[in-house]
Amino acid sequence: MNKFLTLIKSGILVTLRFRLGVFVTIIGNLIYLIIVYFLWRSIYLSSGNNVLNGMTFEDTMIYLVLASSMFTLLESYLTWRMHEDIQSGKIILDLIKPMGYQLYKSLGLIGEMLFKLVTTLLPTFIVVYFLSNFHIQLGINLIFFFLSMIIGIVISLCIDFLVGTICLYTQSIWGVNMIKEVLVLLLSGAVIPLNFFPQPLKNITMYLPFQAIYNAPLQQLLNTELSIYTRFSSMGIQLIWLVALLLICKVFWWKSLRIITVNGG
Amino acid sequence: MMKQGFRYYLKIYGKILVQNIKSKMSYRADFFISLIGIIFVNLSGFITFWIIFKNVPSLLNWSYYEMLFLYGFSLIALTPVQCFFDNNWNLLTYVFSGDFIKYCFKPLNLFFYYISEIFDIKGIGQLVVGITVLSYSWTNLGLDFSLIILVKLIIALVSASLFMISITNFAAASSFYILNSAYFVMMLSNKFKDYAKYPITIFGGALRIIFTFIIPIAFMAYYPSLAFLSNKEATFLTYFTPVYGITFFYLSYKFWMFGAMKYNGTGS
Repeated sequence: MNKFLTLIKSGILVTLRFRLGVFVTIIGNLIYLIIVYFLWRSIYLSSGNNVLNGMTFEDTMIYLVLASSMFTLLESYLTWRMHEDIQSGKIILDLIKPMGYQLYKSLGLIGEMLFKLVTTLLPTFIVVYFLSNFHIQLGINLIFFFLSMIIGIVISLCIDFLVGTICLYTQSIWGVNMIKEVLVLLLSGAVIPLNFFPQPLKNITMYLPFQAIYNAPLQQLLNTELSIYTRFSSMGIQLIWLVALLLICKVFWWKSLRIITVNGG
Repeated sequence: MMKQGFRYYLKIYGKILVQNIKSKMSYRADFFISLIGIIFVNLSGFITFWIIFKNVPSLLNWSYYEMLFLYGFSLIALTPVQCFFDNNWNLLTYVFSGDFIKYCFKPLNLFFYYISEIFDIKGIGQLVVGITVLSYSWTNLGLDFSLIILVKLIIALVSASLFMISITNFAAASSFYILNSAYFVMMLSNKFKDYAKYPITIFGGALRIIFTFIIPIAFMAYYPSLAFLSNKEATFLTYFTPVYGITFFYLSYKFWMFGAMKYNGTGS
């Protein structure tokens, strides 16, 4: 357990070293949110309704603001880091450590995420809570949100590892990474809440793992009408994806390790 | 620095371009995957509009096809900065490591030589999506088309493209002045690309003034597009776009060069 904590701590320390990076992320996020605000304001103005697909303007904004700060949390740059490790040859040193490469990398990332949780997600949550006149319910849903978010984070990490491993074969990082980013952001409901999707498309997204990253936790937090049964079944689906992806990740990685070509190191 | 003619520079650019494409082609898989990647990114913008317009008939008097027109226009106008000016992104690293000095020893215009080094071929994907979206919306809006309109369109696109180029130049050149926070400036300036695809009328009053005069994002698609859309009023600013674009580009070039002239290396 001690070695886990040490690695998490080192992740936090590395991020502390690059405080400017956090600042850039926050300002960049604000620039993004300005568009989001004005875009959705004009969508609600043009529709003439206060409620679209069961969501008021306020609901949508809370959803999207929290989604954007979750995005900063989940942005791990893992694909690039794996590529760097392979190019520099550092991966050899990581592979002979008495701990799996994936676990080793994840622990460092969890440290970074903890740091970002305190510096971005938590402040955003508090600001949104007060700005929206206590629109977010604080009760049992917080616990469901938190648990569901943790599962979402691990699922996101698994997808990142999968994509990173695919890059071992393609030797192309930018393209593969972009395809992943676009698919995840669009199909997880991070850019547009899934409620706004046309029904057939929405049904498809429900069968994909991406909605478990953003949509599932945010629904747990914001949708007050969810019954306990729906909450548990939503989390059950997340858990199924989690187990499936963890397995795929592990197997794919072991299969791929054989083909890694390291030039020097 | 020697003064050379335009044709001389064109010839040199052609030579560098061919070498560049040759070296890119040796990573053929990477090229194709990057192309698919950029097409994915641009299509996701299209899908976003499609989903939005499943919920509302129009966006503050902008119809679906008018929004697509703006989107296609902005994609094409943002292609040159992606294709030709991508090396601006590496400027910070070169200045930081001191490698920038190698560009200073060539008998060529420094800005030209530096920028010509990289041709980002995946921008072609963006161009293709842009042209497709633009012609799709053009036909659906039932707009006229003639040779004169084509010439007008090309002028509008070229002058619109100058704005993002200039913003990138300014941002990259900040590496010469404020090395420590240039990364910050670059990241933020790149975010403004996302603003280009929306009509400026959706923003509040203060932002509209900022995006017209201070950070001229509205010229990347909105103002020049007004000249082509039949039920939109073209304003003075629409016809002012080419003049403003050239002026803005010239200023950014001067800012870049002034910074480069001040550069005195890292001593290593």
